[in-house]
Amino acid sequence: MNKEKRPSKDSFEDRIENIRPEDIKKVLQVFRYKLNNQSAAYLNSCVHCGLCADSCHYYLATGEIPSIPAYKLGLIEKIFKKNFTFLGRKAPGWVKAKDLTKDMLREWIDSLFGRCTLCGRCSLNCSVGLNIAYLIRAARGALASVGLVPPGLQSTIDTAIEKGNNMGLPKEDWIETVEWLEEELRAEVNDPQAEIPLDRKGSRLLYTVNPREPMFFPLSIVAVAKIFYAARESWTLSSENYDVTNYGFYSGDDDVSALISERLVKSMEKLGTQTLVLAECGHGFNSNRWEAPEWLTRKYGFEVKSILQIVTEYIQKGRLKLDPSKNPEPVTLHDPCNLVRFGGIVEEQRYILKQAVARFIEMNPNREKNFCCGGGGGQLAMTRFAKRRLEAGKIKADQIKETKAKIVASPCHNCIDQLLELSKHFDLRVKIKTVAEIVADALII
Amino acid sequence: MLTILKWGVVASFLNCITFLIIMVLKTSSFGKMPVYAKPQGKGKEGIFYAFGKGMMPWEKDSARRHILTYIGGMLYHGGIFAAFFYLFSLVISFEISKPLKFLFSLLIGLGFFSGVSLLVKRILLVSLRKISCADDFAANLVVDVFLALALLNTFYPGLKTYFYAISIILFLYVPVGKIRHCVFFFYTRILFGLFYGRRGVLPKKMKFNT
Repeated sequence: MNKEKRPSKDSFEDRIENIRPEDIKKVLQVFRYKLNNQSAAYLNSCVHCGLCADSCHYYLATGEIPSIPAYKLGLIEKIFKKNFTFLGRKAPGWVKAKDLTKDMLREWIDSLFGRCTLCGRCSLNCSVGLNIAYLIRAARGALASVGLVPPGLQSTIDTAIEKGNNMGLPKEDWIETVEWLEEELRAEVNDPQAEIPLDRKGSRLLYTVNPREPMFFPLSIVAVAKIFYAARESWTLSSENYDVTNYGFYSGDDDVSALISERLVKSMEKLGTQTLVLAECGHGFNSNRWEAPEWLTRKYGFEVKSILQIVTEYIQKGRLKLDPSKNPEPVTLHDPCNLVRFGGIVEEQRYILKQAVARFIEMNPNREKNFCCGGGGGQLAMTRFAKRRLEAGKIKADQIKETKAKIVASPCHNCIDQLLELSKHFDLRVKIKTVAEIVADALII
Repeated sequence: MLTILKWGVVASFLNCITFLIIMVLKTSSFGKMPVYAKPQGKGKEGIFYAFGKGMMPWEKDSARRHILTYIGGMLYHGGIFAAFFYLFSLVISFEISKPLKFLFSLLIGLGFFSGVSLLVKRILLVSLRKISCADDFAANLVVDVFLALALLNTFYPGLKTYFYAISIILFLYVPVGKIRHCVFFFYTRILFGLFYGRRGVLPKKMKFNT
């Protein structure tokens, strides 16, 4: 990886200001390298009908024209046309083709990082069916090649690369946390033999976690451990590579994305486990289930599943007994874009919740048509766009209010963080929980 | 003069097809994306969805919210296809029956009205204007004139010269401007179907009794 020196937070503006012509040339080269037949077809297809506008939560919440997906795509089109099309080269004004300049780079950063969560809702609503999120990720990757990733997001990636997980949790602290959580589990299930295995070779499942869990939400790990305990599962955690997240997915840097995802593959191979089970994390699921084999250019020799698929199997096979009356409050479900719209995990969470809660209420719209909460695309890590992120969350806040639910289940930690902020900001007065936490509360052991 | 123009239509049409094929082939020069992740659904089913149910207004918020634009778009494209068939019948000197000619007039007329409406919308709506370029207006205008002359020609066959002339201009413009989506639409829609079909997202399946 031939990377430029990463800028510190304070120097990001300077970095843009002092961008060199050779950097711009490199952005173009990387952008060209990232294009393939599919993206070239997409970039030839937008008819500028504007019907995508009302699909984007940024545009719906603010009404700002630069938030229209076609406008954001247009920024990429301008560069594509100028460099790779006949009319763009010969009559740039006719098709708004433009050279990549410092001002254009600023617009790219502001729009492609700051006005998009890569949720993909615009693609479903596009009259042609363009995968706009995919193109925006490619352009982000070109910016990443010269260190133009907003600092918060880049530092999260740097921490993951240097420390092995995005929170920089030292190995000893992780092991200590697991030991402490094991005690919690024993007390909870009243069984001194209950365990949270670490590095147990030959287990059926390797379970991954979001490093935010051991840091801020340790009981969500206990919830999953309780489920595995009740189902008498053969499972393990890894003491080294356990991070389900991959923020390289958000920066568009495929090399970094591959490096991070490969760690889980190494854990699988080292421990000889059969199935990689991904925690409730939207982008972690999309990255590791769908994108990582492409980044690593190899087919996996093991299964990759979401914990939601595993819990569904347990319930169907009678390995878990649930009492929905233990969750009497009305529960609604937020569908994480990367898990549902991009991941294909749509019905599992509904099946589980209908078994685990007394009253389940769907949001409207839901499933693959659901609105993004605003926390995806690395937005939570990019503080410079925080105000916009909260504003854009209004659509989700309104959806939640309409349900009159008291609990919002969300199988994604990024979404949970955003929903917690939305709850405070829009005074929603709801509790936010993972699906596993709700299931653990309903378990009959 | 008419014979020259007729051959001009044929030549410009062939030129259009050739350049569109070259453009599609050119996209391949950007390299193919291999797929390694194990599929969860069928790409073929996704493609059927993309060209079937996935085009329906109830499947899209955008179409539902802007139903008039959606209907206008459908009528516009229906009119364009009808005008092409009508042009084809003229070029090969195929005598069409009166009822069929009436049907062509109706479809082309509706298409023309829709096309002009969409152009006016693009001119008046600030948000739409901001995402548009000269090519968007020009493409719409050329097609609208093509439809207008096709429509007039169904009533006044003496206007054939003008209809042929605009057809030549249209065919020459197709590959260089946005009208190239007449081919890329199908390409992109197939990609859309493959993507969501493979991932088991679309078409929707109720896997469990929820």
